[in-house]
Amino acid sequence: MYNSIIVDYFSKPRHSGDVIDANRELKIGNSVCGDTIFMKIKVTDGRVVNAKYKAYGCATSLATADIFADYIIGKSLAEIAQLLAHEIDSMLGELEPPQMHCLNILHDLFEQILSEA
Amino acid sequence: MVSMQTAMENLKELGFNPVTTAIGATQQLFHWDEAKVNELKGYLIAQNFQHHYENNKFYRMLCEDSGVTPADIQSLDDLHKIPLIPVTSFKRPDSHLLLSTSLENIEFEMRSTGTSGIPSISRRDAETLNNCVFSIYAMYREMFAFSRGAGLFLFPSPEEMPEMGMVKVLNMLSGLFDATRCLVKRASFKPKEAIETLEKWQNIHTRHIIGPPFLIYKLVNYLKTNNIHLKLDNKTMIINLGGWKRFSGMEIPREQYNKECAEYLGIPEENVRDMYGLVESNILAIECEKQSKHVPPWVHFSLRNPKNLAEEVPQGKRGVLAIFDPTSLSYPGFIQTEDLVYLKKENTCECGRNGQKVVYLSRVAGAEIGCCAINLEKHMDAAEEKSQMTEV
Repeated sequence: MYNSIIVDYFSKPRHSGDVIDANRELKIGNSVCGDTIFMKIKVTDGRVVNAKYKAYGCATSLATADIFADYIIGKSLAEIAQLLAHEIDSMLGELEPPQMHCLNILHDLFEQILSEA
Repeated sequence: MVSMQTAMENLKELGFNPVTTAIGATQQLFHWDEAKVNELKGYLIAQNFQHHYENNKFYRMLCEDSGVTPADIQSLDDLHKIPLIPVTSFKRPDSHLLLSTSLENIEFEMRSTGTSGIPSISRRDAETLNNCVFSIYAMYREMFAFSRGAGLFLFPSPEEMPEMGMVKVLNMLSGLFDATRCLVKRASFKPKEAIETLEKWQNIHTRHIIGPPFLIYKLVNYLKTNNIHLKLDNKTMIINLGGWKRFSGMEIPREQYNKECAEYLGIPEENVRDMYGLVESNILAIECEKQSKHVPPWVHFSLRNPKNLAEEVPQGKRGVLAIFDPTSLSYPGFIQTEDLVYLKKENTCECGRNGQKVVYLSRVAGAEIGCCAINLEKHMDAAEEKSQMTEV
């Protein structure tokens, strides 16, 4: 049911936690199923220097938060903005139908980080 | 006479699974004497403890901190030593630590969401899911003996809420009925539609109503307000799951509820049945015709002193429920709940079944008031409010 990318990031989360000096916050919430991500990000000179999150929900949504944080750390917002939709889609690997909502979560995270850029 | 342990070991050697064998003998186990059932439970739970001790790094650490090893757990008398997983752990962002298997083996994630909106997620592998399905169907068959009839489902369809524990468990009843209809759609419920469906099924099917108490109560209140008295069937069951405390904080009075169900639905009072379960566990304790909630005979309920959860309280006294469920393999099913309950003093029942009987009292002080039903009620209230505002 879970591809190796999801298994890896869910079982060994790299970026779970808090950023004390964050200057950006992203929030994903689905009031019905409850998948929730609170992400704190530190952006310095247009570059993401740190990102950590607290996530609650299905394994795929937790892995999604970690994959997103892993991708953005060290990148400039301009670089992130150049990502194409299909490149974002491929980040989570092949998903089963009940996991597809996590693609929306991932796109939403990218939209949020760029919305105030 | 062969000892329970030898009998179980022999079964294993022959290739039988002692847990599923026990579930398959539900009816017989309910009539075993207490000592024999306790011996069986003690064996199954001790074996299950060993499984988690050997396969779950995080749980093993908890055991080591408590100085408990599988050698310490030999029978029911030792179960109080087993470290418990607080039910709130299933809501934690690091809930992956609870797994006794790799995520690769997880087949199904079941969720429950309370008022905080943070979901409690329990992850089941194939064997745990098999055990869960067997357990629930075994209890449904034992307590209701359904094999036909029609179910009016007062909860959202699994298509709308595919992973919600309450929906999943109640919807399993559809496999035993000839006809079903889900009447909660997009967070709204129209009692008139329920009455029309019940009338349509008249003289064709034995009609049953299934759902959380707040929704069944809504239907009964509609009948009461409009002075409608239905006459359902002699064997109609009103099956409740999901808590009697409403989102508003008001508690639905059980005795009055039974009486009003009987009066407005035209059924015998003893056919109003409640069930107790939690998403994190593979159990359903179901009321018999004497309205005693029977704990599945392969599961052990232990009650703890609310001020010191390590201390067991005697049967008959109220305490915080700890569940020992040997059917869970993907994570330890040794769960410290936040539910205040008591176990009836006698392990016999007028219905003829033996074993533990649980009476739910309330959530413990400070615990989140929440379950699938409360979350559903919250969304339905919000949807209703929104539609009223649109109409204005």
